[in-house]
Amino acid sequence: MTRGARMACWSVFLRSFAIQGSWNYRTMLGAGFAFALLPVLREVYRGNEDALNEATRRHSNLFNSHPYLATMALGAVAALELDRAAAQLIERFKAAMRGPLGALGDRLVWAGWLPASLLLALVLYCVGTSGWLAAVVFLGLYNVGHLILRLWGFRLGLQKRNLLGEPLRHAGLARLGDRIAGGGAFLLGALVALLLIRGVVDQPVPYGFSLLGLLGVVLGVWRGEAVRRQTAVALLVTAFAILAYGWAR
Amino acid sequence: MAADLVVAALLGGLLGLDGTSFGQFMVSRPFVAATLAGALVGAPVYGAAVGAVLELFQLCVLPVGGARFPESGPAAVAAALTAAAAPGAAGLALGVALGLVWEGLGGASITYLRLLNSRFVPDPITGPVTPRHVTQAHLTALSLDFARGALLASTGATLGLLVAPHLAVVWPLDERHTAGMLTAAAAAPMGVLLRTFGGWQRWRWLFLAGLAAGTVAAVTL
Repeated sequence: MTRGARMACWSVFLRSFAIQGSWNYRTMLGAGFAFALLPVLREVYRGNEDALNEATRRHSNLFNSHPYLATMALGAVAALELDRAAAQLIERFKAAMRGPLGALGDRLVWAGWLPASLLLALVLYCVGTSGWLAAVVFLGLYNVGHLILRLWGFRLGLQKRNLLGEPLRHAGLARLGDRIAGGGAFLLGALVALLLIRGVVDQPVPYGFSLLGLLGVVLGVWRGEAVRRQTAVALLVTAFAILAYGWAR
Repeated sequence: MAADLVVAALLGGLLGLDGTSFGQFMVSRPFVAATLAGALVGAPVYGAAVGAVLELFQLCVLPVGGARFPESGPAAVAAALTAAAAPGAAGLALGVALGLVWEGLGGASITYLRLLNSRFVPDPITGPVTPRHVTQAHLTALSLDFARGALLASTGATLGLLVAPHLAVVWPLDERHTAGMLTAAAAAPMGVLLRTFGGWQRWRWLFLAGLAAGTVAAVTL
């Protein structure tokens, strides 16, 4: 790879942080993907404006992925473009990667690493660590994993190009996701106990509220996402009623 | 008040970007955002407490693809400033209430922004797409998202700063009972999170072990 191509690849990686900037319901990440890939396209189609415009148009098409794992597709497509691979091959590869990269990232990051890191921070906060320190621990821990995932995905894409299936299967990301979820379940149990006994302002929670909270946990496990919305609405109504009572008194 | 609103607008804009459009370093999580906003206006303790409750409601929300989800960053800024305006039990309750409402508004505003993006992002099927088109559309979308976050946070903070001190005087519950009520309400989303991790059947022993460890920690620490 030439020095210019290497620099262009680094530019693509840095631009990948803004890949969701123009997310829309027509092409989803499409425009963001083309925006991130532009440095490599300019390198490949230097001096041929028509070909550059055509490549930009191709890469603006519908694409979606988890934002962190989109770097894997970006790395692979950047390498394929630098190899002057056929446009149809690149299109087929992008279409094939859409589903797996989205599902894998959602499971590993949104439903695993993110809540587990936050649970650790909240457990620390509930045992008496200052809010500041707990927030810094969360940001440090979460972003180490986040940046490693982005960089690993980009490098893997650059190295393996369109042959990502086998390395992805052997990377053990699904197993890693399971372990994170197990750790998260342990931290969740600890947080439930800490909250229902000590609360968020380090004052003992009245028993009635603790019991109500325990019932809420059971309802949440049993009924799922709808309970979150219903509880939020119930809290707003209760707060309003308490205010009205205070006003009338 | 004006200085607080400028802080809220700038922070709200940056956190709006962090939520979906740029980086996603998760500074926009309610716990971090409210702690940061609280510290900037001189109330780090109430900022963290409000942020912790909002975080419990947000933990089980998966910000996937095109789904509409409550947006936490700018709302957490408004919530923290509301709590700071009326320190104590009332500020805590009013901050959380405002934060929950503003999270819903934030989610709706993201949906509208994405619809708007669909209009000016170049369409590769119907017309020419040049690097200039793509770059302009992308930077415009990022700027709009910043403005959206700034507007959300500053309007929420304005409302909180104006209203909270007046409502605080009629709030009848003490801090212990207010925090207890908020904790009880925020416990249900934690049950939802266990489902997200894989469910009760799969992780019940680890969850119960955590529950035991948490009980020991709560009693001894």
